[in-house]
Amino acid sequence: MALTLLRGIRTQTLLKANAGLFWTTQLSPLACFTTRVEGVQTIEPKTVPKSIQRATKQAAEQKMQGFEAVIGIETHVQLSTITKAFCSCPYDFGSQPNSTVCPTCMGHPGTLPVLNAKVVECAVKVALALNCEISMTSKFDRKQYFYPDLPKGYQISQFDIPIADKGYLDLDLPVEFGGGHRRFGVTRVHMEEDAGKLLHSESGNYSQVDLNRVGVPLLEIVSEPDMRTGIEAAEYGAEIQRLVRYLGVGNGNMQEGSLRCDVNVSVRPIGQTEFGTKVEIKNMNSFNEISRAIDYEIYRQIHLHKESQADQIVQETRLWDESSQKTFTMRKKEGLADYRYFPEPDLAEVVLTSEYVDEIRNSLPELPEAKRRRYENMGLSMQDVIFLANDDNVAHFFDSTLEHGADAKLAANWIMGDMTAYLKDEKLLINESKLTPLELSEMIASIKNGTISGKIAKEILVELIAKGGTVKSVIEEKDLIQIADPAAIEAMVQKVLAENPKQLEQYRAGKTKLQGYFTGQAMKASKGKASPVLLNKILGEKLKGN
Amino acid sequence: MLSAAASAIPRLRCAAPPRQASSRTQWSLLWRRPLSSSPNVAPAAAAASGPGALEPPDLPRLAKSARISLSPQEAEEFAPKIQQVVDCSLELALYDIENKPEREGLRKKDNSLMNYLHTAVGSSLREDKAEPFANRDAIIEALPSYDDPYIKVPRVLNSE
Repeated sequence: MALTLLRGIRTQTLLKANAGLFWTTQLSPLACFTTRVEGVQTIEPKTVPKSIQRATKQAAEQKMQGFEAVIGIETHVQLSTITKAFCSCPYDFGSQPNSTVCPTCMGHPGTLPVLNAKVVECAVKVALALNCEISMTSKFDRKQYFYPDLPKGYQISQFDIPIADKGYLDLDLPVEFGGGHRRFGVTRVHMEEDAGKLLHSESGNYSQVDLNRVGVPLLEIVSEPDMRTGIEAAEYGAEIQRLVRYLGVGNGNMQEGSLRCDVNVSVRPIGQTEFGTKVEIKNMNSFNEISRAIDYEIYRQIHLHKESQADQIVQETRLWDESSQKTFTMRKKEGLADYRYFPEPDLAEVVLTSEYVDEIRNSLPELPEAKRRRYENMGLSMQDVIFLANDDNVAHFFDSTLEHGADAKLAANWIMGDMTAYLKDEKLLINESKLTPLELSEMIASIKNGTISGKIAKEILVELIAKGGTVKSVIEEKDLIQIADPAAIEAMVQKVLAENPKQLEQYRAGKTKLQGYFTGQAMKASKGKASPVLLNKILGEKLKGN
Repeated sequence: MLSAAASAIPRLRCAAPPRQASSRTQWSLLWRRPLSSSPNVAPAAAAASGPGALEPPDLPRLAKSARISLSPQEAEEFAPKIQQVVDCSLELALYDIENKPEREGLRKKDNSLMNYLHTAVGSSLREDKAEPFANRDAIIEALPSYDDPYIKVPRVLNSE
């Protein structure tokens, strides 16, 4: 179904190639960005013809009307430490407002911040995963701003010496968006603290503040302005999400605000080397919205250029409004000097040793990019590769299945097909399934050695996911062993032919399509247990009157 | 509405002693003169004539950054005090702490004086172990305006 949806909308996009400014809002949801099990499993690699990809790309280029977009992203990753960055308050999303606070995070006079060692560890992990240069000595600074979500009046952040810089991130674009490998630069990674949450009452003349989130550790990852389309930017965000989940440093949940992407968008005529005026967009709650917001903003800016109103593009922060699918001015950007950065006198420099960094480097798990390259080398299609590596739990399940001897392509098909479909229907995650990788590999082996048919396997799979157990016990319990005895199958075929003389006559008169009907009847008679290969062979012979 | 409470903030900031002064007594070494005498300090003038010369503090702009409303009279009152703070930091910048043999001990591990101080009071890192603050009631009690379970503040949306 996802396939139909994608194709349908793709075609629509083509037809509407010149339909106006906001065409990209019609794009389908980027199914694979939603991670977990609701990916693109039903799309077979060959179903997105090259011609469509090319035409889509051409349509997009036409839209750009001689302009090029330059996109950079600032990502805030909330670290899933037990306690906050500079005090021992625990943090749990969804706690009673203002319950996890203490004098330090409330900014009371006389309190001092003490850095959580885990924050440094997470920062080094992410920095290494992003191929960054690590600063063996970095420091904290105060970023001054005055707002009720920040009781101290300044945010502890890192300014001129971040913990890491000069990295990059490799990713593969989804096949349905043209595919391709991309490398985007990472300017810097730094540690800082989060602010509280503000709620603005509709009617009253006051705002409400919840300070539970104050002081929760964040990593800010700043990209180079290397992206050119909304899709590329959304995929960059999705790869950061994959990375933090693989590393186990954060849950990367956008709805809860554990992963927040602020994008900077500017456009310039193709060939111009200077950047245009950049506009920051905030308030996107999914990767799909990031893509749409950027595409909207690109065309808003191109439109202004075309109308000779480029001077109306000003450096500002705009908010994405999902309901109207547009961006709106939030505030004109405050200059850098307004933050009045200065070194945080209450915290020591963060000094790392090479042993510490090496230890963390050696403990890193296999990262998404390495996994994709490994899967690709197994001969899996890019569609399979991207799907399997998208979610670390799925990848882990797949890898374990292979360790038990299953064939890669067969395992991938079962996981991406029946298993994912069932889990999606039941709203379960793969690690909540009762089917173990060992049993999946047993099941695949049972099909291969002829004990069960593929059709029976589908039934067994559902049974195993829901209730657990072993393939062997389910086969025995339900008497599902494949009938591979030619004599038994022949008897069944004879019976079916005898019971359907009319159809047999029609078949022999040339209506050979009826073979399917006989196969169905015979399969039914065997309760699905007949070996399909043997059944077809014997049926074929008997139909011809042999 | 904010002005009454807010105008007290600069006064507090100026008058407050450095936090945890007892563990930071070394800092006093740097403060060769009390703040009040700084109008007579030469370094400020010297620095002001150099390439990094600082503009005198723009009180209306500072107040706006801090979302504080200041009357012209208050601005006039605070201007020299803020100038004193600026002068004092300029004086610190001129103070040579790199080539003083008597400070060698402070630099034996790190070049940074602050690092020495932090190391002196123990490891600067903390284990990721939760210790919920026991006296939350007192914190809530101290809030100027509380609307259970939220802290109530003047409306900030679209205040600009």
